[in-house]
Amino acid sequence: MALIEASGLTKHYGQVKALEKLDLTIEPGIIGLVGANGAGKSTLLKILLGILTPTSGRASVLGMDTVRETRGIRQVVGYMPEHDCLPPDVGATEFVTHMARISGLPRTAARERTAEVLRHVGLYEERYRQMGGYSTGMKQRVKLAQALVHDPKVLLLDEPTNGLDPSGREEMLDLIKRTGTEFGITVVVASHLLGEIEQVCNYLLAIDAGHLLSAAPISHFTQRTPVLAIEVEEGADQLVAALAAKGARARQDGSRVLVAIESDALYDVVRDAVADLALPLVRMQQERGRLEDLFRDTAPEQVAR
Amino acid sequence: MNSPSPVTVSSPAGSIYDLGYRHYEGPRRGRVWAMWSLFVESFRGAWGFGRPMSAKAAPFILAGLYALPALFQLAFASVIVQEMSSGSETQLMTYRSYFGMFYFLVIFFCVAQAPELVCRDQRYHVLPLYFTRSLSRVEYALARLASLAAALFLLLMVPCVALFIGDILMKPDTFKAIGDELPKALPALPANALIAAGLSALSLTVSSFSSRRAYSAIALVAYVLLAEAVPSAISAIGHNSDWTWTDNLFALTPVTSLIGASDWFFGQVLDPREFAGSLTADAYVVVALMSVVIFTLILLLRYRRLPA
Repeated sequence: MALIEASGLTKHYGQVKALEKLDLTIEPGIIGLVGANGAGKSTLLKILLGILTPTSGRASVLGMDTVRETRGIRQVVGYMPEHDCLPPDVGATEFVTHMARISGLPRTAARERTAEVLRHVGLYEERYRQMGGYSTGMKQRVKLAQALVHDPKVLLLDEPTNGLDPSGREEMLDLIKRTGTEFGITVVVASHLLGEIEQVCNYLLAIDAGHLLSAAPISHFTQRTPVLAIEVEEGADQLVAALAAKGARARQDGSRVLVAIESDALYDVVRDAVADLALPLVRMQQERGRLEDLFRDTAPEQVAR
Repeated sequence: MNSPSPVTVSSPAGSIYDLGYRHYEGPRRGRVWAMWSLFVESFRGAWGFGRPMSAKAAPFILAGLYALPALFQLAFASVIVQEMSSGSETQLMTYRSYFGMFYFLVIFFCVAQAPELVCRDQRYHVLPLYFTRSLSRVEYALARLASLAAALFLLLMVPCVALFIGDILMKPDTFKAIGDELPKALPALPANALIAAGLSALSLTVSSFSSRRAYSAIALVAYVLLAEAVPSAISAIGHNSDWTWTDNLFALTPVTSLIGASDWFFGQVLDPREFAGSLTADAYVVVALMSVVIFTLILLLRYRRLPA
């Protein structure tokens, strides 16, 4: 049984199609949910939480239907919303304890879990101060703590690094990574920042305009692809022609030439071609496929195929 | 991972104390516990507990002012006894008349504290955190409503208890006095419960329509003033003009109709000379219960539509 499943999931807001026939299966791990703003990430999370009802199709979390078994899901799911959600006039301890009780934890357990979770997210002596005076980084930590306090099996994080400075961002990502690996909690991170996803996740779901673009382990996207990029100051078109004449598959990409590396002999072919044409060579490097390529029209892999 | 930042507890210094993440294996309670927890937090919030000192000022000052006259009567019980024994007509405050005399302080309490309970969560977007836990929208609204009703009930009962003690102290035989006074005092419990239910449903519902405390408070004041004044004015005009259809408009007022309804428990009826209507106390009770139901339904509808 997959952790999260969706089939034919569709959500329309009037004319706006937020999700369109989405099929996906999520296995335990740290899952990145990438997409531009408005791609349908938050909508998908809210459907999984049961606070939105899909227009058609169905989704399930741990085998529980998001529409019919909402209560069961909510006991095992933690949610960190995208926007501010903290009242300013109470302290973090008081607030997180209250949220733990609302999640069903008895009084003493709620207090103990709160202390533990706040320590995990790195909130110490300031946890008794009113949250109105917290920095964005501290607020994000409290938001994560309230999602973790009832020890969920699945954590849904909506843009967890929103508004953080670079160091706060690193700390938050580190925290997410630890939550997923050390705590054994499946984390779904929705983000529009590919770099972050690349850093912490081991599985990636890319959605765009309500459609699933791709779903695969992150290593699939970041593998070295057998493509050589050659940068020359001029004469890129001549080089492409010369390489093609020698049987290599080459393509021009601006001032660069991309060649599929089919055998080690290619390096010699390229060297000879550049030397023959007496082109000013700037650099040669093997292209590493990156997540950005998902959202680009001309991916380097296309040359190789 | 060796940076000294507080997050990386795997750093050498932190590892001594770090017990690692422990999973929670204990019991998980359901919606009744969630509602009870929200009720308790909300009741405390209505009195400013768990909030900064400034949040306690309004509820405690208003509650103090509301109880003050009863406390005076208690403090001067012995003086009053002497006056009464010397034959002078001393008008004592009774359980029945107390709310009618000082109701405006109770309204102020509603205006100050009802927005506190419902506007905060809307203003700071806390609602999604509740609605993604074991608490439905209906349960959330009902728990908040119950807590305000309980807070109001406490507010209303304090002076009644003071009056009760004062009345006992005025009698020479304490045990006999308790026996005499109790039947007179007991109707105050259901009467105040009805008043608390009516006012809490009204004020929480009106407050829930804005996320800003100030707007909610103004809306509530405006509603109470208009709903009190307009039917009174029309029925006064009607009384002078010998219209009959205006006679029972008092049923539409929020406060007067609650006073009329609470009289039912004391076996009395609003003075028809003062209030033009010919409604019986039974009718006022029905009207009060209906208003509780209607306002509660509006509240639930409001929470059904609020985005999470």
